Amino acid sequence: MATTTETVRLTIDGVPISVPKGTLVIEAARRVGVMIPHFCYHPKLKPDANCRMCLVEVERMPKLQTSCSTVATEGMAVRTATTVVHDAHKSVLEFILANHPLDCPVCDQGGKCDLQDFSHQYTATSRFEETKRIFQKEYFSPLIETQMNRCVQCLRCVRYCDEVMDVKALAPIGRGTMTEIKSFGAHPLDCEFCGGCVQICPVGAIVSRLSMYEYRPWMLKRADTVCSFCGDGCQITVQTKDQELIEVNSAQGAGRNSGDLCARGFFGFRAASHPDRVTQPLIRRNGVLVGATWEEALEYVAERTKRLKQAHGPQAFGGLISGRCTNEELYLFQKFMRVTIGTNNLDSSARYGHVNGVEAMRVVQGTHRWTVTFEDIVQADVLLLVGTNITETNPITGLKVKEAVKKQGAALLTIEAIQPAIGAISNISNLSEQHVCVAPSQFGAAVLGLLKAVVEGNHIDSTVRQQGEDYVAAISQAVQKLAWEDLALSTGVSRESFVQMAASLAKGRRVVVLAGQILLRSQGGYGICLNLLDLLLLTGKLTARGCGFAPLAEENNDQGAVEMGAVAAMLPGALEITDQDARARMSRAWKEELPLATGATLVEMIDRAQAGIIKGLFIVGENPVGSLPPQIGTREALGKLDLLVCQELFLTETAALAHVVFPAASAVEKDGTFTNAEGHVQAVRSAINPVGDSRPDWEILSALSVFMGVPLEYGDAKEILKEIRAVIPGYGSLGPLPIPPAVDAAAVGRYMSEGYRRDLATRYVLPERAVRSEGTVQLGLAQTLFHSGKLSTHSKGLLQIEPGGFLQMNPLDAARYAIGTGDRVRLSNSMGEFTTTAKVLDRVPEGLAWLPDHFAQNALQLFDCAVDPDTKVPCYRTASVSVMKTT
Amino acid sequence: MPKHELILLKNMMQPGYTGSLQDYERAGGYQALRKVVGKAQPAEVTAMVMKSGLRGRGGAGFPTGVKWGFLPKGYVGPRYLCCNADESEPGTFKDRQLIERDPHQILEGILLACYAIGAETAYIYIRGEFVLGAKILEQAIAEARTAGYIGANILGAGITANVWVHRGAGAYICGEETALLESLEGKRGLPRVKPPFPATHGLYNKPTVVNNVETLANLPHIVGRGPEWFASIGSPPKSTGTRVFCVSGHVKRPGNYEVPMGVTFRELIYEQAGGLRSDKLLKAFIPGGASAPFLTPNHLDVKLDFESVAAAGSMLGSGGVTVMEEGTDMVWAALRLMEFFYHESCGKCSPCREGSSWLVQTMRRIVAKRGRMEDLETLVDLCKNIEGRTVCAFGDASVAPIMSTLKYWRPEYVALIQEAEAANLIKLEPAGARH
Amino acid sequence: MLIEKYKQEIDSILSRYPVKRSALIPLLYLAQRDEGFISEPAMKEIAGLLRLTPPQVYETATFYTMLNLKPVGKFHLQVCKSLMCALAGSDTVIGWVKTKLGIRPGETTADGLFTLTAVECLAACGTAPMMQVNEDYYERLTEETFDRILADLKKDGTCSLKTGPFMWPEAPKAQ
Ligand SMILES: Cc1cc2nc3c(=O)[nH]c(=O)nc-3n(C[C@H](O)[C@H](O)[C@H](O)COP(=O)(O)O)c2cc1C
Ligand code: SF4
Ligand code: FES
Repeated sequence: MATTTETVRLTIDGVPISVPKGTLVIEAARRVGVMIPHFCYHPKLKPDANCRMCLVEVERMPKLQTSCSTVATEGMAVRTATTVVHDAHKSVLEFILANHPLDCPVCDQGGKCDLQDFSHQYTATSRFEETKRIFQKEYFSPLIETQMNRCVQCLRCVRYCDEVMDVKALAPIGRGTMTEIKSFGAHPLDCEFCGGCVQICPVGAIVSRLSMYEYRPWMLKRADTVCSFCGDGCQITVQTKDQELIEVNSAQGAGRNSGDLCARGFFGFRAASHPDRVTQPLIRRNGVLVGATWEEALEYVAERTKRLKQAHGPQAFGGLISGRCTNEELYLFQKFMRVTIGTNNLDSSARYGHVNGVEAMRVVQGTHRWTVTFEDIVQADVLLLVGTNITETNPITGLKVKEAVKKQGAALLTIEAIQPAIGAISNISNLSEQHVCVAPSQFGAAVLGLLKAVVEGNHIDSTVRQQGEDYVAAISQAVQKLAWEDLALSTGVSRESFVQMAASLAKGRRVVVLAGQILLRSQGGYGICLNLLDLLLLTGKLTARGCGFAPLAEENNDQGAVEMGAVAAMLPGALEITDQDARARMSRAWKEELPLATGATLVEMIDRAQAGIIKGLFIVGENPVGSLPPQIGTREALGKLDLLVCQELFLTETAALAHVVFPAASAVEKDGTFTNAEGHVQAVRSAINPVGDSRPDWEILSALSVFMGVPLEYGDAKEILKEIRAVIPGYGSLGPLPIPPAVDAAAVGRYMSEGYRRDLATRYVLPERAVRSEGTVQLGLAQTLFHSGKLSTHSKGLLQIEPGGFLQMNPLDAARYAIGTGDRVRLSNSMGEFTTTAKVLDRVPEGLAWLPDHFAQNALQLFDCAVDPDTKVPCYRTASVSVMKTT
Repeated sequence: MPKHELILLKNMMQPGYTGSLQDYERAGGYQALRKVVGKAQPAEVTAMVMKSGLRGRGGAGFPTGVKWGFLPKGYVGPRYLCCNADESEPGTFKDRQLIERDPHQILEGILLACYAIGAETAYIYIRGEFVLGAKILEQAIAEARTAGYIGANILGAGITANVWVHRGAGAYICGEETALLESLEGKRGLPRVKPPFPATHGLYNKPTVVNNVETLANLPHIVGRGPEWFASIGSPPKSTGTRVFCVSGHVKRPGNYEVPMGVTFRELIYEQAGGLRSDKLLKAFIPGGASAPFLTPNHLDVKLDFESVAAAGSMLGSGGVTVMEEGTDMVWAALRLMEFFYHESCGKCSPCREGSSWLVQTMRRIVAKRGRMEDLETLVDLCKNIEGRTVCAFGDASVAPIMSTLKYWRPEYVALIQEAEAANLIKLEPAGARH
Repeated sequence: MLIEKYKQEIDSILSRYPVKRSALIPLLYLAQRDEGFISEPAMKEIAGLLRLTPPQVYETATFYTMLNLKPVGKFHLQVCKSLMCALAGSDTVIGWVKTKLGIRPGETTADGLFTLTAVECLAACGTAPMMQVNEDYYERLTEETFDRILADLKKDGTCSLKTGPFMWPEAPKAQ
């Protein structure tokens, strides 16, 4: 970072050191290796100086000073090792120990407890012999328990919940020694369950019930790996005892998440140890799947494949892989399809939406990755969020946004389908400087409104105006055709709001635009991404430092899937399959010709299966039957196949149809790399051995290739990574920080001169205005904070927070249909009906209703599916439904 | 009848004085405000206050003009004045009288301060129990608003000054200025870490001045009659003006007495307050509210000014003088105050939070004749370990009663413990010692 | 709902502060006036009005002794027990309450009329012993005045012995 910082010089115990201005004495001391004991201080939090543990002597100050709140100044002389200081520390410890129950033998924190460590270090005891105050232990929730007798009242939990999470679910209750941490009255904790309070508590006062009494810290084996629940790519430490998953946490400052986690990361780890795991290969015999040996299953698949290939050729095959797999697996999968099988018919779950963002970036700025990083988000002065509901979809990117707003004072602009309401889950629009609440079907209209305001407000960058005269003219013309009245009708947003937003955006020096899944997966998502890039380009932000476009990935390795070439039209390195140089390089590397025929994408493969063209399908960790709406006919199409091979953790709707199911290892059981949404490649490390007879997907693919006679053999995942690095030079630095690509000026030039023309006419028109008829709401499928795809529905902890599906409704709508939280509701339209439970939430805008897609299989029938003509992304996110209370 | 000139209590001593706007104006009220608003520069008002030598009457005795001078110069944006009417220091009841009997005197002081520091909004943070006081202030504000002293464009000078009454809700700590600000912001009244000071980061993080009721009530007189006049009263140069001392305890005529600073305790206790209740001997007195260390009859000739009381090992504090006659149990007295501090510790700092509960329990044990000799050492240690180790001055205050009673009346502690030991001669061997 | 009943008053409270949260204690008082104590629904409603979470309201409400989160008797006797009052016999006053009403600090009479709390200094040390009953101060208590206060409260809900604008020693009477 090039922020020039002034420094000050001071001495700590006589050792001179120079630190940036504003550094706290406690941090300055840490730099010279002096660890000043502390409880309430935490680098993420504003100093509160309440524990008084960190006292030090500062020359020329009469009293001892708290080093956690004292800023280092020029010439300051600090002493931490004098008798006075030592005695002060010891005495504060004595006070803190006074009311402490000293129940270390049954305390989960034992062995990693600050109070224990300092007491040991100072051989501190307490002369306290009076009556200790006693608090009842509280079952705060099914997941968190408090033991307030152990609390040292440093308020780190409360401050974290407020300052970092912006959730404010914890509160110090009462006064003086009787203060205890609670939520609200006698109610159980209702919050984001980020686990932050458990992690940040320096003692054992707030503990996770998932792993209570199960271990002593020193018994645990640790593996630093990456969470597999979303595209944020948080570093986690999985702690295990033998083969058992005990706990997950993240060390302060670790990874891109800097040690912060969300509920999925902190409490979701038990998915892997669910008893329903498929633990041995299965072969369908006489219509039922029965257990088999690896040998048998591999043989069976190889044999059938060979016969089908002989009869129908390689184009009779297709492959589908999950964006949850490692880069190594994704890479090997596409190589397997292209080389061993010989087809480009392959796709990954990036097709559900992420491809829309990537394609748009490729077209406008010539990169397939963000040109910004999380650090740029934190340092941005203007952030625009469109259709993200970021707290629930990408919580850690959300924390970066919160940090930018709360700590750095960034201006937040939001175009979201949420109302700024205070609830148990943080709501990003509460932090907005300007928020417009728009239904997902009208995100496009809102972005057009913003573009129109940019053009009319004369916010167009002069260089862009010069270099792209035609481009600017064309866009200006296009937006001028849109009438403010129509925009207002579509979005419900006034012209003034757009004008203000445009002005803020144009004023920004470091502007980052984040596009979320709700946008990326909604109809026209691709076009809207292009328009957002237009917005950046026109205002001169696209190429400016610290500015950029950041589409958020839903699955942890959607980005990797694209970069590994696990999508029909791309080769590794996200190179187009039609790119002759790339093809040539790849066939040299693989020593094999690449298939020529254009590959079929997700929905196309299903259509081809339906039509009998595709006869064999390899599916790795994907569940199209459960994910796609029934109108697509996935189930029937797959039923027609001669060979359906699934590599899976669980017997999903899709795997249940398979001829052969291979038991796959979960992310905590394998090694490799994941690439997060910002393009950072991180190491995945196994914490336990594969459960049962399962194997990592790459091993299965490799074994299949051997059995099929076109062997792709590797000793371990590292060897695959080596090959990846050979074909994509320098792939993944694996360093601590991502190195984002720069915008490709040539690509921008091409876009401004020619590229924009192709679809300008279609993406600069207002999306259809849904006429909402009496008695209906617009139903949307959404991700909730507590789940990720369907994998998390196998996680004990997450199921305890959110055990099943429910319909989120606005209070006014709920009142209209006389529905209350907990009531059963029937949703219906011409395509079918679905019954679920209602939950009334202020944050849901009137006229909309959300259904978490993790539990929505049976509701999918209500949704129409439209496939984007350019990116082939299937979109089935909104439907108009009638709502009725039922019993 | 007082032999000194009264300043603050003068109006209310007039027979029939009701404290209404009419009465106040008739007694010359709001002339000071008229004299300066729109006519003198705000800085001139600050200069007058500085020159008067006025020091805060809330407890710490910080020079008022100097405090105002800490506000950032040239700062654009709102600034605030908070009138500290939280009066909760045991032994103190002067602000209550000033508020209920002559509210306009305070309002005029507030308006002068607002003018001087450029604050358009003032909040009077009044302790929640003063329901009547809050009503009287609200009414006075309404009167002053109608008369054009409060509101937009006061006295037609194009200056805005709004004054609002904000009631506390029962927490002594909210008298501490930063806790007051937190409380005023709708939060728990926990003192803030300083620096930054309210002058730069106060209410809503904006430049703010917090002044005590009595401090502010002096302003109309300083501005009206000139700083030189004020500076000549009391014991200049360091303790100028009068103070309203609250005399309580074992005296014949407890109550509020306004005297120039510098009179002796003897004068205050024996002349003003009529001497001891049943003509017993004086045993002890607290010179400045519960936070001030106890003094003994040997200190009767100490002068009631900031420096003299400090030199005697205590402090002038809030002006609450509590008198105890011969026969008062000093350990019990210290415990009573310790109970107060235990009840009121906000709980932020470990030493104060844990220490106050520890001290109170040990003291209760000693008073209940279950003490041990070691307890005395522990008490002293704990007090020393609380003192100077906390965010606010509450920690220091909370140990004053025990420290000072142990200093002067240690034999009383010892006697209680000896009694306890005599009654409990059989000592149990620890289980581990039996073979 | 408070907002329906007290719309104007709430608006007027909110108008005094540039930051909403400052209205919290005033609104808690309003809720307490309405129901006699601060109920959970009231805290939730206030949270909504001020854009706070219920725990944020709760933490503030539990910090201050005058805010009751549970119902108290119709007359809340708060007898000061701090040193200055104790020197003038406040323990005796607490004794009177016990013998006359049968309640100790923290208790409420069976008829729900009286709750006794022993409180810390109420700034009436010169006129001790004293107690506050709901909003009113009663000072320089004697057994006789105490009895009368109880009787009047039961009968009329108030008592003329309550202190008016405070001054002690009293000003000389007008001739
Ligand atoms: C624990 C504590 C309680 C205090 N209580 C009061 C109080 O009730 N009234 C008051 O005016 N000042 C009180 N103060 C002093 C204030 O912090 C502050 O110094 C004062 O309001 C400043 O006003 P002044 O300069 O006019 O005295 C208290 C200080 C402490 C440390
Ligand atoms: S010294 Fe006591 S009262 Fe003051 S902030 Fe610390 S804990 Fe609170
Ligand atoms: S770490 Fe400094 S006071 Fe707690």
